[in-house]
Amino acid sequence: MSFREKSAWAMAIILIGGAIFYFDKVARLSQALGESAPPIVGLVIAYVVVIVIASIIIMSVLAISAGKEADAPADEREKIIADKAGNWAGYVIVVPALGGLWHYAVNMDGNMLFHLVFLSLMLGQIAEYVFQIVLYRRGV
Amino acid sequence: MAKAPPITNRIRELREQHGSMSQSALAEAVGVTRQTIIAIELGKYSPSLESAFRIARVFGTDLESVFGWQAPPRG
Repeated sequence: MSFREKSAWAMAIILIGGAIFYFDKVARLSQALGESAPPIVGLVIAYVVVIVIASIIIMSVLAISAGKEADAPADEREKIIADKAGNWAGYVIVVPALGGLWHYAVNMDGNMLFHLVFLSLMLGQIAEYVFQIVLYRRGV
Repeated sequence: MAKAPPITNRIRELREQHGSMSQSALAEAVGVTRQTIIAIELGKYSPSLESAFRIARVFGTDLESVFGWQAPPRG
């Protein structure tokens, strides 16, 4: 498995873990309130900090174990994989974002709009790494 | 039945003819990753024209001695 494929696996796992952590807290709070929880700035900051720190640690370990492969620029196949995955991930972002806009237009629930837009950003990132993994496994 | 790749190649055979050259050595000579050489050998990925020329040059031969292409039947 190449360094970039291992990186994609690591980032996908970190981001999925982060999304579960974040939305578990939001769901519990919403349940306790009986309505959509308001945006929790502290939780958003905690999510971002945890993701950044976990990424730095895991990517450093992968880079050290990969040696000079980690320093090499992406080759032509890896660039195609990154481009395709980024392109497809763009479509994933649209779905929850549009859902959030629709929900807001119907229910005027700004809290839910915030969560759905944040979800769309998370899903977009996760999807990008998942598509990269699929393309690496497939060859291209 | 699996669809045949449009581009065929003799890379594995040529590697063996060149002192059992490893996929890593070929990858380094061409400037791609070993995984890309594996994908090319298996017909999962068709290389760019530049990489195809580089591969042929490593083996000291011309492009068509390494790669082949069969036009799909017209229908």
